[in-house]
Amino acid sequence: MFVLHSRVINWFANKIKFHPTYKNYKDYVMRRLPVYLLLDTSGSMAGEPLTSMVNGVQTLLSSLRQDPHALETAALSVIEFGSEATQSVPLTELITFQLPEMQARGTTAMGAALALLNDRVNSEVIKTTPERRGDWRPLVFLLTDGIPTDDLQAGINALDKSKLGIFVACAAGPHADTTQLKKITESVVQLDTLDSSGIAAFFKWVSDSVSTSSAKIDLSKKDVTDLGELPPPPEEVQIAF
Amino acid sequence: MTNVIRVQTLDGKTIEFVDEIVGSGAMKDVYFTPCKTKVVAFYREPQDAASRDRLEMITGAYKDRIFDAPGGNYWREQFCWPEHMIEHEGKLGMVMPIYPEHFFFEYGSINNDMLGIKGKEKQGKWFASSNNRERFLDAREKGNWLNYLQICLKIARSVRRMHAAGLAHSDLSYKNVLVAPTKAQTCIIDIDGLVVPGKYPPDVVGTPDFIAPECVATGHLDKHDPNRKLPSIYTDRHALSVLIYHYLLLRHPLRGDKVHALDPNEDETLAMGENALFIEHPSDTSNRIKLDNVRESELPWKDTDKLPYTITGPYLSPLFERAFINGLHKPNDRPTADEWETALVKTLDLVQPCVNSACTQAWYIFDNTKSPSCPFCTQKYEGALPVLNLYSSRDGANFKPDNHRLMVYRDQSLFPFHINRQLVPNERLDDKFRKRVGYFIKHHGRWILVNENMPDLSDVKSKTPIPPGAHIELIDGLQLLCSKDVGGRLFVVQMVNN
Repeated sequence: MFVLHSRVINWFANKIKFHPTYKNYKDYVMRRLPVYLLLDTSGSMAGEPLTSMVNGVQTLLSSLRQDPHALETAALSVIEFGSEATQSVPLTELITFQLPEMQARGTTAMGAALALLNDRVNSEVIKTTPERRGDWRPLVFLLTDGIPTDDLQAGINALDKSKLGIFVACAAGPHADTTQLKKITESVVQLDTLDSSGIAAFFKWVSDSVSTSSAKIDLSKKDVTDLGELPPPPEEVQIAF
Repeated sequence: MTNVIRVQTLDGKTIEFVDEIVGSGAMKDVYFTPCKTKVVAFYREPQDAASRDRLEMITGAYKDRIFDAPGGNYWREQFCWPEHMIEHEGKLGMVMPIYPEHFFFEYGSINNDMLGIKGKEKQGKWFASSNNRERFLDAREKGNWLNYLQICLKIARSVRRMHAAGLAHSDLSYKNVLVAPTKAQTCIIDIDGLVVPGKYPPDVVGTPDFIAPECVATGHLDKHDPNRKLPSIYTDRHALSVLIYHYLLLRHPLRGDKVHALDPNEDETLAMGENALFIEHPSDTSNRIKLDNVRESELPWKDTDKLPYTITGPYLSPLFERAFINGLHKPNDRPTADEWETALVKTLDLVQPCVNSACTQAWYIFDNTKSPSCPFCTQKYEGALPVLNLYSSRDGANFKPDNHRLMVYRDQSLFPFHINRQLVPNERLDDKFRKRVGYFIKHHGRWILVNENMPDLSDVKSKTPIPPGAHIELIDGLQLLCSKDVGGRLFVVQMVNN
């Protein structure tokens, strides 16, 4: 398991905070495309769903590592939410990213996950200053099989969406509630079943989306801001209206 | 498990493909034929009449125009050109040749292919980024600087051919130009998006890094707005210049450290569009790469003081200046593919092998100084270095300089196109002119030209013939008449460092 360091960190002249897991601030010099995965690890995900999700992240990682553009620009983070929300992997370049050991237990602290996301984006994603180029706006992919058990609205209120690029929420399986997810983002997709093929298809689509946005990002004059900007989802992944 | 589907091409041929997507691009899904010698690609979206018509032209008249012309066979390996049009279940598609073997990684990445890219396509981005190349690629995949010059020549030549046929590719990028550095091979793919001025408009804007500044700057306008600038032969020229700069110098000509706006998207649009500025602009230094911002794996490439664009020599440097200084915002001033091709041919005659056997680039361009050294590893050349200055006659009497030099090194070959100005090494060169006619060796510290097949070769001053089979020592001031044919060359030998 990754342990989040809390000690402070380096401040540079331009007052950007750097995460201590980086030995060298030069790792930050390219404009990165941050990708945050918010993954439901509540008790109901135990078994095949959790295994599929871990495999999904693994596949995502290996396919992005095979894309020379993503390899150079994308950075990945995992935030898990069960009874509480934890960032199991801080924003990390693909080549050093270690797969987290996820365990499914507890309730669904989705609101806390959003608040944590906001916190992590604030400290990990570099803002552009007149002297120094920062990162792209992060892409966020949230996957859940249930309904939030904490105060979702508090999480939504805490989240500054102007700092984010596209935010896709995926309702996986019959017990996920798309209306709750719609409160977080317009871009909600659905998986009918919570099996390995559906989850694999979702992560394949995430991978294609990251590749696309890292390759074509300035074509549309803006970050990917809605589902229309992403590659068409596979048939297992339906857009929820 | 998977079905094999049999369809008729629109020109009446039968083709089979395996009903399993093997790859997906921005617009198309790709399938293999059962024998895996061809691929079939279908557009996911329905195509309008103009696109159908265009594909018909690409698989018909345009293809014939290029491949059926003299020297046409040369292009079969340079383009992955759609051969037939097909339609299946309402989807329009095309049959294309599969890429040759050498465009797939043989060794892939380091540490026993840690990235798992063995067998995957050699996308140019692997080689055009110093970080990818230095940190991840197996040394056997990388190739040296001579290979990249040759790659640039092939790309320029292929683009020249398309442009000569009135066609613009419209999305030249390292994704759409496969490269095999160790074999110095290239292949232009995604031909189906090509643009014919006034006939077929573009359907993509291009790929970031390669989109011309005027297209980026007007990208917010409607496609039919008269002020909107869309891909064309002029924007292909920009993309070609960026490709050449990128492959030779492993950095983007416009991606410096000037921040144009605090919003990342706005910054990108300005940096690549309206405010685009060459990182090596001679007077406006505001977009220089700051070395403090450079990763170890990007050096020395991103150090523009150590490796300025002028290391590319006297023929390419002025073209880079036109492409990124004068012509950056003036499309008409951009160098043409033809000009790049000519300059690259001449530049390839200026290469020198680095005497440092550990030098990763292995070759460099003679810097026209008395003590030449390799810009990549700083190794100095030792000993006498002969340079041949090429002259030719327009009237058979007076010889004028051709602004063309030939560097001599061990086992360097002389070809018919060196000894006659009228012969150009390109696809139209007859096979009989592709055989070497002489070579250079160093023997006991002396440089010697061995004549293999130059019947007219003679020492001008002493009027001594040097018949085939004979040889002559190169000394400063020696004048060699190579050919009495029209366009025949005179070499004037200059010894550097002697």
